[in-house]
Amino acid sequence: MITITLNGEERNVQDGTSIDDLLGIIGAEKQRVAVVVNENIVYPEKRSGLMLQENDQVEVLAFVEGG
Amino acid sequence: MNELQIGTHTFSSRLILGTGKFGNVESMLDAVRASEAELVTVALRRFNREQVEHDLFAALSTIEGLTLMPNTSGASNAQEAVRAAHISRELSGSPFIKVEIHPNPQHLMPDPIETFEASRILASEGFTVMPYIPADPVLAKRLEDAGCASVMPLGSAIGSGQGLATAEMIKLIIRESSIPVIVDAGLRSPSEACAAMEMGCEAVLVNSAIAVAENPAGMATAFKEAVEAGRKARHAGIMPKSGSAVASSPLTSFLGKTS
Repeated sequence: MITITLNGEERNVQDGTSIDDLLGIIGAEKQRVAVVVNENIVYPEKRSGLMLQENDQVEVLAFVEGG
Repeated sequence: MNELQIGTHTFSSRLILGTGKFGNVESMLDAVRASEAELVTVALRRFNREQVEHDLFAALSTIEGLTLMPNTSGASNAQEAVRAAHISRELSGSPFIKVEIHPNPQHLMPDPIETFEASRILASEGFTVMPYIPADPVLAKRLEDAGCASVMPLGSAIGSGQGLATAEMIKLIIRESSIPVIVDAGLRSPSEACAAMEMGCEAVLVNSAIAVAENPAGMATAFKEAVEAGRKARHAGIMPKSGSAVASSPLTSFLGKTS
C-alpha cells in the first residue's frame, strides 16, 4: 500500500494503482474530470500509464454550477 | 453588426447565463434553452461523488451550440486564478475564462490588483479573458491594454439584486472602451438588463435573477427579450431629454378655438 493525498485527504491505495484506476475507485471514471498530480495536469491519454507514487498530491476536479 | 464579437468568437445572443443557484439541473437547463444564451459560466471544484449528483459537463453538452466560460471563483489571488484557468481550459476545451477573484465573502467585491495580474498573464497565454471587475474606468482601460477580450463591471454586489447601482461609472467605461463592456452581477429584473443595453453595454451576464425566479425559464425568456429590446433601442437612437414639455399633438386649431 502507498499513501497519497486526494483532494486534501490522505488515502491508501494499492501499489501500481494508475490514475485511471483511482478515478474508477472514486466513481469518477465516467465523468469529465481534470486530474492534477503534484501540480501538473495529467491529460486523459496519460492516465492509464501513470502510476501513483507514495506522497503524491492528487486533485480531481470537475465543473459545477456557478455564476 | 448584430453579432456579439468577443476576441475571435461571435455570438448571436447577448445574454450570458450563470448556471449557479438553480433548484435543480433540469430547471437550469430549461432556463439556458429559454434564454437562447450561447455562453454560460461554470465553476471548478473538487470532485466529490457524495455531493455531485450529476455530471454538469454532460448535462450542458445536451444543448447544441453552447460555449462554456469557466470562472475562477474560489481563487483569492492571481496565482490561484491562473492555476484554475489552466485546469479549466483542459476540461472545457474553450479559451474563455471569467477571471473572478473576490477574497472577501462578506461583499464579494473583486480584487482589482489580483484580477489585473491574473488577466494580464492569461491574456498573454492566449486565453479569451473576461474579467469581473469593479466599475472603474481606469482599471477597465488597463485591462483592455493588457489584452482582455472584454471587461465585465459589476452593476452591484453579486446576488444582491440592487441593479445598476454603478450606472454612471459603467457609462464612463463604455465611452472609453474599445472592447465589449458586459454588465455582470447585481441585475434583478429584465428592465435593468434593458437599461444596461440602452446604455451601450454589448451584453449582460445574469444568474441569480433567473435562477431564483419562481419560473426560471419564464424569467430567462423575459431577460432575453429585454436584452434584445435594449440593443434595438440603442441602435434606433434614443431621443434626448428636454428640460421642458414638448407637445406631441398640435397646440392650435382645436375645434371651437379661434387660433
